[in-house]
Amino acid sequence: MNLDFSQIVPYIPFMLEGIWVTLKFVFFAIILGSILGTVLALFKIGSIKPLRWFADAYTSIFRGTPLILQLMIIYYSIPQLTGYDISPFLSAILAFGLNSSAYISEIIRAGIQAVDKGQMEAAQALGVPYRAMMTDIILPQALKNILPALMNEFITLTKESAIVSTIGYLDLMRRAQVVGSDLFRNFEPLLFVGLIYWCLVMGLTVIGRMFERRLKQSD
Amino acid sequence: MIKVEHLYKKFGTNEVLKDITTEIKKGEVVSIIGPSGSGKSTFLRCLNMLEIPTYGTVVVNGQDLTGPKKDVQKIRQHIGMVFQHFHLFPHLTVLENLTYAPMKVKGEKKETAQEKARLLLKRVGLAEKEKAYPSSLSGGQKQRVAIARALAMEPDLMLFDEPTSALDPEMVKEVLDVMKDLAKSGMTMAVVTHEMGFAREVADRVIFLDHGVLVEEGQPAAFFNSPQTERARDFLEKVL
Ligand SMILES: Nc1ncnc2c1ncn2[C@@H]1O[C@H](COP(=O)(O)OP(=O)(O)OP(=O)(O)O)[C@@H](O)[C@H]1O
Ligand SMILES: [Mg+2]
Repeated sequence: MNLDFSQIVPYIPFMLEGIWVTLKFVFFAIILGSILGTVLALFKIGSIKPLRWFADAYTSIFRGTPLILQLMIIYYSIPQLTGYDISPFLSAILAFGLNSSAYISEIIRAGIQAVDKGQMEAAQALGVPYRAMMTDIILPQALKNILPALMNEFITLTKESAIVSTIGYLDLMRRAQVVGSDLFRNFEPLLFVGLIYWCLVMGLTVIGRMFERRLKQSD
Repeated sequence: MIKVEHLYKKFGTNEVLKDITTEIKKGEVVSIIGPSGSGKSTFLRCLNMLEIPTYGTVVVNGQDLTGPKKDVQKIRQHIGMVFQHFHLFPHLTVLENLTYAPMKVKGEKKETAQEKARLLLKRVGLAEKEKAYPSSLSGGQKQRVAIARALAMEPDLMLFDEPTSALDPEMVKEVLDVMKDLAKSGMTMAVVTHEMGFAREVADRVIFLDHGVLVEEGQPAAFFNSPQTERARDFLEKVL
């Protein structure tokens, strides 16, 4: 066995900085994805046909092609087509935000539709207007179905974020590769950031469980 | 109070209601009975536009629900509905279930709404449950809360769709008692039910539906003792 973790010690601050760099774009991607995803979900359950078609087509395209391809297309085609030199950071937010919005819209749509139809009828029978019914009666109940799945989506996004290393964004993954080529040893830095990813995911999982427990209590 | 004329309802090609014409007068209690799938629920739901009639007119309190200028939400405020499976709002307490619509829809003040809600809970015998959530109630209690929730809107008319069918037998009575009480107080009621005892005892009139057709209607005593049609006789033989 030829393992030597002592050599990566000087690089540890460099790699730890990657946590922040990764979380920064994941955070913005989640915000973008959640907002867009909510809008798309409302399109899907609404009664305006063209909007429904648009949302369905959008979802189909972003779920039907590889994320890494979407990332590359955004990073390389925007400068080529518009002359705007888009940064890896912005490309990463866009690609991950647009991509996850497709998944998030499905999660929200399914969560709303899983609420017993009787709830809507009871509200309607009482004369409650549509908007109030959605915000006061349907969405609070849908949230119970939505939150666990949403947490999963955020975890997936955090893990998949490693592919932004392919466009030169200095995230955790990319930093492990940089250290690896500096030292001519790849295994130790990879293992190190692997541990960091795992901790991040565990952190998200714990937060998710806390939310779920909160929701269960209100039952 | 309610006038139904030549009411038809189709789901696709399935004609569920065929040419129903009838009337429910103020203060009247009408029982709607008939075999499963005969269109009882659909008929009831046409009375508050949870189902949109394919053809025909439904006039409630002088307002034509099927006409061009209708404010369905406004009309529904005056029509309470009680469902087989209660459909209480699970994330709200019993009291909040009762106060939500009066506050949201009629703009009542919280204190007023709560005061009225407490009176109603007392009336259905659940005063001590106001802070409970629906999931902690028995079926009979849930249905009594659902009745109180509908009454909180101070409706002119109450629709019941098999209010006791989802209940354990020992809980049927407590719900029927509340309904009898309501009938005595002069409420106009349309009740879809399999409880022939209730229909016979409480109803002023019985409507018998079969395959979407209003086959027979009349006073309970006459209907149950000497049904005029073959189909009503067959049905009563099976259920009595
Ligand atoms: N939303 C719907 N879409 C399509 N068909 C429907 C719908 N609702 C009811 N039906 C059909 O209409 C017919 C009458 O249904 P309805 O629920 O009114 O009967 P019912 O007399 O209330 O029966 P039950 O005693 O079983 O409650 C049935 O054949 C049913 O399958
Ligand atoms: Mg029915």
